[in-house]
Amino acid sequence: MTDSTRLDVTDIQGFVLKGYNFPYARYLFLELLHARDAQIFIGQVLQYLTTGERWDKKPITTVNIAFTHRGLLSLELPEPTLLSFPVEFQQGMRARGDILYDTGKNSPEHWDPIWRENRVHVWLAVNAQTSAALDHQCNVLLQMMDQTRGAKLLQPQDASAVFIDGKPTSKEHFGYTDGFGNPDFKGAERNCVPGQGKLTMDGNWEALATGEFLLGYADESGELPVAPIPHLLARNGTFMVYRKMHQNVATFRNFLEEQGRVYPGGKEKLASKFVGRWRDGTPAEISPDHPDPAVVADNDRNTNFTYGNDLNGLHCPLGAHIRRGNPRDAFGFNGELVNRRRIMRRGLPYGAYVPEGLPVRDEDEHGIIFMALNASLFRQFEFVQQQWIEYGNDLHQGNDKDLVIGNHGGQGKCVLQGTADPQNPPFLCANLPNFVQLRGGDYFFVPSLTALQMMASGTVDPR
Amino acid sequence: MTNINGKAYAMNAITPMKSWKTPVLRGFFFILGAFPFLQASLKNLSFIHFARWVIIRHDQFPHLSARQPLEDLHYDYLIFLSNFNGTWNQYIDAFSAVLSSGLNAIWRWSEKFPGSVPVTPFKSYIAQVQFETDYYYNAYPRAATNDVKAALRLQSALNNFAKTSQTLSPAEFETAYLEFIAQVQADLGSTGMAPVGT
Amino acid sequence: MANQSGHIYGLTILSPILESNRLDICHATELRWYLASLPRNHTSPFAQVSSTHFARLVVMDDVVFVGAPAREEHLKSRYLVFETNFDGDLNRYLTRMAVEIPELVNSVWKHCVGYPGLADPNAFIAYMKKCQIETTFFFADVNDKTVQQNLKALQVQSALSRFVERNQGKPASEVQKSFGVLLKRLAEAPDPLPGGIDSEKTAAEDRPYDR
Repeated sequence: MTDSTRLDVTDIQGFVLKGYNFPYARYLFLELLHARDAQIFIGQVLQYLTTGERWDKKPITTVNIAFTHRGLLSLELPEPTLLSFPVEFQQGMRARGDILYDTGKNSPEHWDPIWRENRVHVWLAVNAQTSAALDHQCNVLLQMMDQTRGAKLLQPQDASAVFIDGKPTSKEHFGYTDGFGNPDFKGAERNCVPGQGKLTMDGNWEALATGEFLLGYADESGELPVAPIPHLLARNGTFMVYRKMHQNVATFRNFLEEQGRVYPGGKEKLASKFVGRWRDGTPAEISPDHPDPAVVADNDRNTNFTYGNDLNGLHCPLGAHIRRGNPRDAFGFNGELVNRRRIMRRGLPYGAYVPEGLPVRDEDEHGIIFMALNASLFRQFEFVQQQWIEYGNDLHQGNDKDLVIGNHGGQGKCVLQGTADPQNPPFLCANLPNFVQLRGGDYFFVPSLTALQMMASGTVDPR
Repeated sequence: MTNINGKAYAMNAITPMKSWKTPVLRGFFFILGAFPFLQASLKNLSFIHFARWVIIRHDQFPHLSARQPLEDLHYDYLIFLSNFNGTWNQYIDAFSAVLSSGLNAIWRWSEKFPGSVPVTPFKSYIAQVQFETDYYYNAYPRAATNDVKAALRLQSALNNFAKTSQTLSPAEFETAYLEFIAQVQADLGSTGMAPVGT
Repeated sequence: MANQSGHIYGLTILSPILESNRLDICHATELRWYLASLPRNHTSPFAQVSSTHFARLVVMDDVVFVGAPAREEHLKSRYLVFETNFDGDLNRYLTRMAVEIPELVNSVWKHCVGYPGLADPNAFIAYMKKCQIETTFFFADVNDKTVQQNLKALQVQSALSRFVERNQGKPASEVQKSFGVLLKRLAEAPDPLPGGIDSEKTAAEDRPYDR
């Protein structure tokens, strides 16, 4: 495995290599029409496409594109190519419901129609610095669709940062500061943040193998991830899972309020135990008793911790959300069992933010657009979702699910570890409702610029 | 036919070995048995209830009647029978990631074993040498081995606490109960159904 | 002793399966169908031989050809693989099989070469030992607890978890009294059945996500 993987950043979509941190986004979900017209449309989109090249000055808007398998099918890619995609991508997220626990309240019958009906071919994403710029860029793209007759808009999905006092924040609707802890991988030019990569034998942090997040490169186990043929179609591409997660803000706030009254540490500390971070972002592992803004502000500290000295869960509970999403060294073996299970998150909240204390209803449209990138949906996202979020055996939590996002159906429980001190006791939350409900989504292939060029000019040959 | 009962998976695998290699493998197993600390990684992975390796020499297949044809085999065979928790992929991924040298020490004597790293050819080999279970019984299907161990620890703590729990004053009980819960708090996971196999 | 780890005995049996010239009976197939029809939960015959932790029955058709340059070879008979992990000693276990689950034993081993039937339990035990293969290496994660001890512990774990939940935040004297009741109930509770229906759970509770 070469240490100096130099990536051709102009060939990789910018969305893959960086979190843009723009406050506004609109995801246009499209159905592709006649293959030839769709190819022309994609060729035109290519001119606006944002790559991973370094910015001297941030652009006002960005454009990125990804395809479901049925989208690739309607582009009439050759059959052997279509069949060479990983199985889970071919099936699509909806068909994987049993694995993902998308049952009961999260089952497709509760999804938005475009997802329930399996109609989406393309995710065409615009991120923007202003709302006006967002509208403008989207109009340009919609006009292109009309002119080429290559695609039709099924539905737009708006997302945006939560604004507090007129300023965009990285909060989400339950009040937690989000966006920490994305994995570092070799070749990505952003700075390595301690805690984001994998653990080395001497306790330092190192970037993960490129092939965990990009097709065509060696992954953590020393082989190339499963990728479609031809190589040129796959290389520098990756897979994305998109999940629209509705948040039952009223239920969550009531729950936190109620339980916070009974929990000796109080509501904010309880909130920190659910997630493993205080709502301001302080990691519970580093500071279990109070938030610490100095830690939050310091990128060398705010995600720099391990669980090896906290195998009892006294700082960060064993089943806390971030501990489930990335167990680090909690399973021993210096974190080896976790290195191939990392995902790169890119989501944004959607819906109007209601400040704490003001009335809010579960039915109101608000939640998170969860997007995660990985080279292998099966080995990374699906595994984490099935084994660590909706189940707890590896974390020694039996069948208990993630308190915040688990599909509890009113039945779940969560144990928050504590000490024999009555001010910091073990605390059990039971009869958990679904704080979050799935409204749909799918699996997407995020092609490289080269691949898009091939798709646009109809020059994909399987070998 | 099913390999799965509750949270347990019954894997059966058979691999051929050249006869001269068999004693080497026996030697390795002998050392493994004599030095339990070598099994530490296996125990730390904590997802196997019971597993066994059985070497059967080419002339050792049971022969019970003159009318049963005598086997005429060139290879000795290594049979592996495991009762583990988790999915097939998860199990093999974990072994390949953290126990590869142990796996290699056992299976390198088997013909055409590709090594346990990288994992894809290893999985192909296992798929080839695995044969399906016709009937599988599990006395506690809702419990993984982690659940069983947690329950045993919890019960032991409970029995201890129970000795004095009713004779303490309420104030003393309050303190002792809190200490007891703190002791067993990591062992309270629910049992139930396993995630679907992948 | 390689077959044993702590209190657990690991029995491996390879019984050659009868071949037949008659085209309408293939013993291996009939045996497979029988095994497919057996219940696998608390009504399993192995639940009755209640010292059984895990047991499997496998019709092994042949050895595996791993590909050139390895040599291709084949078994002349099929074998029934019986792997079981149980508490206590071998003779007692085999006797229990003969006495408590004769229907299963007959239905399975009647397809095997040299099966003497159950008229004489000692003959059956001798037969099974003739088919026994010595375990070369046996790993047992928990090797010092019986099936009943495990099941009881799981029952206690489940009850205590519910107790903690219901009594959180209640005054100490009340919790203490309830705890006494819990201890009494646990002591008096019937032994949980092996094999997988916890009588307190309903089918609906088993799949809460389907609501």
